[in-house]
Amino acid sequence: MSGKFAKFSPFHVDPELIEGTFSLRPEDFDRADENEKAAMEQKRKSVSYWRDAWRRFRSNTVSMVALGVFIACLLFAFVGPALIPYDYADQYRSSQKLGPFEYSAGEATARSIAGSVDGFYATALQPGSLTSLPKGDYVIYHGGKTYAFTLDRAMENAILMLQTKAENPLFIVSESKIQKDGSWSDSKAISYTDTPADGAVEIRLSRNVFPHAFGTDSFGRDLMARTMYGTRVSIIIGIMAALIVLVIGATYGAISGLSGGAVDFVMMRIVELIYSIPEVLVVLLLQVVLKDPLRAWFDSSDSALVQSLSALGAGIISIFITFALLYWVTMARIVRGQVLQLKQQEYVTAATALGAGNGRIIRRHLLPNCVGSVVITTCLQIPSAIFLESFLSFLGLGVSAPMASLGSLCSDALETITLYPYRLLLPSIVLTIVILSLNLIGDGLRDSLDPRLKK
Amino acid sequence: MAVYVIKRIVVSIMTLLLIMCITFLLMNAIPGSPFLTEKSTPEMIERANAKYGLDKPLYVQLFNYVKNYARGDLGTSLKMQEGTSVSTILFGQGKFELSIKLGVISLLLAVIVGIPLGCIAAYNRGKWVDGFLRVMTTVGVAVPTFVLAGLLLIGFAVNLHWLPTKSNSLPDFKSYVMPVISLSFYYTCYVAKLTRTSMLDAINQDYIRTARAKGVKTRMLILKHALRNSLIPVITYLGPVMAGIITGSFVVESTFSIPGLGKYFVQSVLNRDYPVIMATTVILSALVIFMNLVVDIAYKIVDPRITLTGKED
Repeated sequence: MSGKFAKFSPFHVDPELIEGTFSLRPEDFDRADENEKAAMEQKRKSVSYWRDAWRRFRSNTVSMVALGVFIACLLFAFVGPALIPYDYADQYRSSQKLGPFEYSAGEATARSIAGSVDGFYATALQPGSLTSLPKGDYVIYHGGKTYAFTLDRAMENAILMLQTKAENPLFIVSESKIQKDGSWSDSKAISYTDTPADGAVEIRLSRNVFPHAFGTDSFGRDLMARTMYGTRVSIIIGIMAALIVLVIGATYGAISGLSGGAVDFVMMRIVELIYSIPEVLVVLLLQVVLKDPLRAWFDSSDSALVQSLSALGAGIISIFITFALLYWVTMARIVRGQVLQLKQQEYVTAATALGAGNGRIIRRHLLPNCVGSVVITTCLQIPSAIFLESFLSFLGLGVSAPMASLGSLCSDALETITLYPYRLLLPSIVLTIVILSLNLIGDGLRDSLDPRLKK
Repeated sequence: MAVYVIKRIVVSIMTLLLIMCITFLLMNAIPGSPFLTEKSTPEMIERANAKYGLDKPLYVQLFNYVKNYARGDLGTSLKMQEGTSVSTILFGQGKFELSIKLGVISLLLAVIVGIPLGCIAAYNRGKWVDGFLRVMTTVGVAVPTFVLAGLLLIGFAVNLHWLPTKSNSLPDFKSYVMPVISLSFYYTCYVAKLTRTSMLDAINQDYIRTARAKGVKTRMLILKHALRNSLIPVITYLGPVMAGIITGSFVVESTFSIPGLGKYFVQSVLNRDYPVIMATTVILSALVIFMNLVVDIAYKIVDPRITLTGKED
């Protein structure tokens, strides 16, 4: 240890360095002042798991577009019905079998006059088998004024119009007296008062004729309203089914994984058995089996819960039951796998060594670490539930008329495919878009919640 | 190996028995009697029940089913003409063959087209071919069978008149096109996606780098070295594909008016024809379970690294 080696020896320490670094001065033990405290503070806030995941998700263009599309679908399904004047179950007798943006004769007449009056009431725009307005007392509220009048005989094949500026604001014109260009002759004025009679029926005036953008079906139901409603039903079924799978599968998997040993063995053999059953066969049987008992149950009980369930219909409830019975196994397997893996982690051992109880380990360590894959699996369960529901409805087993789902709309359309192909095309496209956007959101979630899996 | 195969066969038979039990219980859970019509009197129902053995205790009925099935006797229909045997209903007039033909062709198509597509995508990773295939497969797995069937009908039968709208008993090549495409497209896309992913995984492995360093051509590398390893997840997926194709056949057979097995299943369920329900369920389940068995065994042969003790987890 001499000569030139001394300089590189690990044991050689420069005495001056020791002086500078290790010698302690009394002022080192003073309390830190504000500046020193500020210097110790973190420059950047730590990023939480969700914030980090959201950042990754946001930078994924495809998933963001898919999210946007899915939100648009949600608006279409949940806000849309409020914006259009048609209801999914209403039948317009004169408007059967219309193509997209086609108008029936009555609607076309009403449309032609729409520009020249402030409001009108045409029986052609009313649902049901109504072609005439029966005699009786009526009232119209328009522009802050009240128009109360009495029809002494039924108004048939005529349009009631309101022109606030005219000498006789309220008048009736026979449909046959209205020309193609919207001009009319032979208007019959109606006398009115501003105090409605007892039991007067309120009439809502139309400003214009809302187009049947998707056309109408053979019963004269507006297909856009039905598609909106069907999308809503399909999305609700998808989300509910995914939640059912989440609750049952995650609980089962967590119990199995946490218990381990014989319990785990038995529980997993059960999962394997259910897994190997071709579920669709059982689903079809279940659908038929459950229909009548469910109906009977709905009729017999009048508790609020049962009534709200019966509003959904027996078909949908049996879909939920099917999911609860058969479809949770994938989720259970995934959660069990995660729990088994996480149980072996050092930090869990450390927590156990520090005296943490089971509850704390589950809450603090296992749950937060499983949540990523659970969210992903749940999200991907939604489109597969929509798939199954549309399949069942297509076979005529899911939702029952007049309710609609995207599957049942497609199935109805298939009978008339040669004449009205758009009836199949439009719900099919919506269904595909919903499933596609959900799939892509799921993929994006997988990439952002669990970057290790990214391919 | 033999032990493993036997074990798997035993498990398969158990699953089949379980499915028989479930089906039996579900059938009997439907309220009312299958013989209940507007004209039937209680005595008539009783007589019919006695004739078909429906008056016996449930466990005896179930045991009879199992016993007869073991002998290959599928029983007689409750609803068709007097004494028509279930096997005539299901296998007569080539119904079973029709479904099998359709299913097998679709399955083969999914594999034969799907795997090369996946390879091409992985081989051209990042190029436009890959991009195109990715879009196609992503959209493909979002289109339900009946939607595709409907779109094909509109396009090729209604508008272009190239193909017939009804396939009936699949008399010629033309009538196969639409049913087979609508049945197999989803799985073709899924198989292609799966192959691409696992192929990319395989390409990043050390042994591929070694082979490349040794001077193996890229084409050979993909076909011989990478493909073998990337096939494992694809083979595992074939079980679910089989189940899915059977499911899809219900839709396709009703869409294209093909008188196959799937159509009969739905019909028998709605008719409450117990022996026919049981027979169709058992046959279709057996197909799926058999496929799973084949897959599990093939899986061990393809990948000798997997232990043969039968412990999956």
